[in-house]
Amino acid sequence: MSTGMRGFTAKSSAPRQAADYLIWAGLFVVLVLMVAPFVWMFVVALAGDAAWTPSADDWLPGGWSFANFSELFTAQPFGMYFINSALVAAVVTGANIVLCFLVGYAFARREFPLKKTAYFSVLAVLMVPAYVLIIPLFILINALGWYDTYLALIVPFAVNPLGIVLVRQYVSSLPIDLEHAAVLDGAGALRIVFGIIMPLCRPVLAVLAIQIFWLNWNSFLFPFILTDQNVRTLPVALAMFRGYQTVDWPHLFAAASLATIPVVVLFLFFQRQIISGLTAGAVKG
Amino acid sequence: MRVPHGKQWAGTFGLLLPWLITFAMFWLYPLAHSAFLSFHDYNPLSGAMDFVGGLHFLRLFSDADFLQALKNTFVFVVGTVPVTTILALALALGVNRKLPLRGLFRAGFFVPTLTATVVVALLFVHLYTQGGYLHTLARMLGLAEADRGLLLDERAALLSVMAMDIWVSAGYYMLLFLAGLQQIPRDLYDQADLCGASAWQKLRLVTLPLLKPMTLYVVLINTIKSFQIFTEIFVMTQGGPVGATSTVVYFVYREGFEKFRMGYASAAAYVLFFVILAVSIIQARLFGFFQRAER
Repeated sequence: MSTGMRGFTAKSSAPRQAADYLIWAGLFVVLVLMVAPFVWMFVVALAGDAAWTPSADDWLPGGWSFANFSELFTAQPFGMYFINSALVAAVVTGANIVLCFLVGYAFARREFPLKKTAYFSVLAVLMVPAYVLIIPLFILINALGWYDTYLALIVPFAVNPLGIVLVRQYVSSLPIDLEHAAVLDGAGALRIVFGIIMPLCRPVLAVLAIQIFWLNWNSFLFPFILTDQNVRTLPVALAMFRGYQTVDWPHLFAAASLATIPVVVLFLFFQRQIISGLTAGAVKG
Repeated sequence: MRVPHGKQWAGTFGLLLPWLITFAMFWLYPLAHSAFLSFHDYNPLSGAMDFVGGLHFLRLFSDADFLQALKNTFVFVVGTVPVTTILALALALGVNRKLPLRGLFRAGFFVPTLTATVVVALLFVHLYTQGGYLHTLARMLGLAEADRGLLLDERAALLSVMAMDIWVSAGYYMLLFLAGLQQIPRDLYDQADLCGASAWQKLRLVTLPLLKPMTLYVVLINTIKSFQIFTEIFVMTQGGPVGATSTVVYFVYREGFEKFRMGYASAAAYVLFFVILAVSIIQARLFGFFQRAER
């Protein structure tokens, strides 16, 4: 990569260009360090020898095979864990799209008593560390008879306060004339909310949906506390997979790849939405 | 101008209902219940509930396990947050330059954050285990014992988890810094160029001061998040060896769900909650102070 590398600032001074090359090399090293463990995960997952463990004289698993993946579904209930994860994440995402939209719309457009107090409850909840809830939520879910059911992983997480904040901000930025025009046309409240405003909110709802799906797909703490065998999700199954003495790395990493591939695909398609979802709290706040 | 349907209270109440139910049932009530439990002995198996007043809070501060967990948690926060912040800032400054493949860098740095914590933790169990790549590397540098992996080594275990946390979170905070960098008006740099400012002067006099709000945000949320470390500990070490990696949330989990002392565990949870609040307020004040002192 001598003089001709495209993209390096061509007209800058020589020292500036030298600095750019150095920075680029530094970034490249960090990139390798960040990505290599994942490449390694796939290599081990595809190992031909399922009994392989790392050691000084056997540092690369030999052979290639998809057997470790298929055995996850035949010898173990990983198909069910996968479905549980996908189902819970999808339903929670759907619920958040609709419910956060309704609540966020109300905070943006409606007048009602104690509005400030109500909105404060949304912001205050964002400050509560999740772990404080593990004991009381476990007790509550048991009292409701929801332990180890889908309800335990769906209902408490159906309205994410961050979603309300995002929707409120977005709806507030829409011109109110749209709604006035709709009223003159004789549209009712429901038609305005669902027929006019909701379609306009598509960008912010997409950001919210991807964020919620991703969070719930990766979630460990609450699924771990609130479920057992029946609705075990992939991350919980992975954490339980590991025996203390010997570890079956090829199968474990095949399962870990199974949990990773969907979010990587999601990221490849929706990088922009994921990034704006993650920085939404920071830029405005 | 009046908002259409702005005063239809019944409809408004219907719109708000999902949040009112969620807030009351899954936030307010559990938080209150947990506060109530922290003044009681409560065993979920027998259902026995006895009022003990503030005893749990007193006992926590003479409980060697809790104190060690608290100490480990502080070591974790103090050790990781500054390193992560500086690394993330450096990566953001690098990626913000017009370099080839910057999109690839930005995406690649973000992959660890994208992945489930459990997956990352398992990857590092593999790398840290006896004969794993990082254990072998540490041995070559004379930093590890030959006969046990890094996570079974009392002196190395917590540091190993901290190193992993820095590796995972740098990419996320890099994104936040990038968002902050992109909000700095370009003409400030143009003016600095006109004044003949060097790259270092531009960094020190334009970039860093204008990044201060974002830096505060990054430090605050990373601190709050780091105080709550649990999943990594559960998957990688179960608090071991001999409590060397036990953290407060891990302590809460063990007391509540393994020893079934849910009142005591709730008290520990609230102590950490107040520690997090206090530290957040102090950090916000410190940043505010420095900002005022500079003007």
